[in-house]
Amino acid sequence: MGVESFVEDALTEPAAAHPPVLPSAPRDFAELYATHSRAVYYLALRYLGDHEKAEDATHDVFLKAYRKWDEFRGDSSHRTWLYRITVNHCLNLRQSWASRNLISNADDAVWETAPARTDSPLRVLETKELGQRIQGALEELPKEYRLLLLLVADEQLSYDEVAALTDQTADAVRGKLHRARKAFAVVFAKTA
Amino acid sequence: MKQEKKLTQREQEQLSEKQSQQTEARDFASAEELLRHDAGRTQVPPAIAKRLDESIQREPKPPKSWWKRITRG
Repeated sequence: MGVESFVEDALTEPAAAHPPVLPSAPRDFAELYATHSRAVYYLALRYLGDHEKAEDATHDVFLKAYRKWDEFRGDSSHRTWLYRITVNHCLNLRQSWASRNLISNADDAVWETAPARTDSPLRVLETKELGQRIQGALEELPKEYRLLLLLVADEQLSYDEVAALTDQTADAVRGKLHRARKAFAVVFAKTA
Repeated sequence: MKQEKKLTQREQEQLSEKQSQQTEARDFASAEELLRHDAGRTQVPPAIAKRLDESIQREPKPPKSWWKRITRG
């Protein structure tokens, strides 16, 4: 097979080989959506705390990614690049709400004095309400803790990548993560 | 025979309902582990892809060099 033939075959691959989710998008972008849409949607859902807003955010994030797809240089992983767009998008949304509704996060000191053990496991029952409990607990946390927990929960991200996404050092992430886990354990226990 | 079959179906429905109501206690070592579990059972609404596809149709086609399409596979 000559180079020309290979090029032509690669560009004119049958449509049946495309993931069915985004028929109008180039194959590589459709694959990007298929691979990462759950992670983006989940981050938006649990950070924003609203299904409809999470749907809107996921749509907007991937549309922004589509517009910048050709500029993606591969300096970071696709996941990290998409998370960067998602985090910025969600922060802008929340800032916009906060300025309109004077949203404030709970005081950090509440978690420092709470009698919770972070080394004991979180025991949960598999119910339909589990998602609501998790959302309720996350909503009680300072938004920085919420974001850190959600990002660190993604095993595809290293501490360095989480640090870059949240504009701090990896050591700062580790330190705050300890407090975030404790805070989550305290508020999650209250939702039982 | 028909009555017997009907009863069996009902029993199966009751069993299925009972199973769906049963809850299983699970321990998670950390908040992250619980969140990973939660993420794993979260489904992306199909409406997002449909809407995104419609938005992409309205977008101007981005200029794209042929070699990038090949190297990105």
